[in-house]
Amino acid sequence: MEFTIINNKKTEQLSLKKNLTIKELLDEIEKPLETVVIKKNGHIVLEEEIINEGDTIEVIQIIYGG
Amino acid sequence: MNCTKCGKKEVMIEKKHSGQRLCPECFISGIEQKVLKDIRKYDLIEKGDRVMVALSGGKDSVMLLDILTSLQDRGIIDMMAVTIDEGIHGYRKDGVKIAAEHAQRLGIEHRVVSFKEYFNISLDEIMALPSPRGACTYCGVFRRWLINRTAREMGATKIATGHNLDDETQSIMMNYLEGNIENLTRLGPRSHPKSDKFIVKIKPLGEIPEREVGLYVVAKGLKVHFDGCPYSRESFRAEIGEIIKNLSKKHPTIMYSTLRGFDKIKNALKKEHSRNFTMENCIKCGEPSAQELCRACVFCQELEKKKTR
Repeated sequence: MEFTIINNKKTEQLSLKKNLTIKELLDEIEKPLETVVIKKNGHIVLEEEIINEGDTIEVIQIIYGG
Repeated sequence: MNCTKCGKKEVMIEKKHSGQRLCPECFISGIEQKVLKDIRKYDLIEKGDRVMVALSGGKDSVMLLDILTSLQDRGIIDMMAVTIDEGIHGYRKDGVKIAAEHAQRLGIEHRVVSFKEYFNISLDEIMALPSPRGACTYCGVFRRWLINRTAREMGATKIATGHNLDDETQSIMMNYLEGNIENLTRLGPRSHPKSDKFIVKIKPLGEIPEREVGLYVVAKGLKVHFDGCPYSRESFRAEIGEIIKNLSKKHPTIMYSTLRGFDKIKNALKKEHSRNFTMENCIKCGEPSAQELCRACVFCQELEKKKTR
């Protein structure tokens, strides 16, 4: 399963064996959910949303330390 | 599960403290109503006020500007904005640009004022001097001085800042843990200044969690400077913020209960711990001060000595 991730303004193609949820992806890239907003194909989604083949996931950091 | 309010399928937030699941439209209108309700509840704004927004270009101040615009559009207030340039390389420039764009878009008067211009030193230059105090200490004092002075020059009757629920909870905990009980008595949604030269400060976002502020600006597509101040990471506030954020994961209502608990003891604290003093004018800059010299001028003198060492 392939999808696009835009994180810190960098765009990458990721390939995974199984479908992940947003929460699982955030755990994977070590981003705490409470500090980010996630868009899937341009729409803000919840942590339980499943990432599918061809999706574009944007990780927007909204909270920084301090 | 669909939006709890309108039934739409596109849900963007689940509010853990209330169990509500909301679509973008219901989330945005809910936030706007909550802020406007708090403005009425805490008597933050009166008709005819000239409100100066402290506009950094970050998410909090941009959201505040966006919501207050509705009051300007209805002819209730006049708005203006100030942006403080502390002189932090690689950080402040983007925020100043975004702030200016918003002000121009809304057609409001906007001033950018810098530490360098008023105090003859930037924050970066301060931090390069030998054994400085914490960056936030200088920044807080100089910023408050500049914002108040500019508000008076611009004829503002209120200064609106974008402090959110996380900021307020952190302030309560920080002051309590450091034993600064007198500072605690001054926290709250509006200031009650002891001098006419201090413009009343209001915090309309004081009951909105920081994450919801972030969600609001993203959902509304507002251009915002998302970046952390390089100096703030070392601060005590950042340490406390981390603790509260971790606690909030298991206890999603903890910030609200901290604020509510504080509301209950605030009057008692004020009675017991408010210091009575007369506010005079600083002999150097003329700004109101309880001492001969205000803190900004004390810091300036201290920095001058460090520079010549």
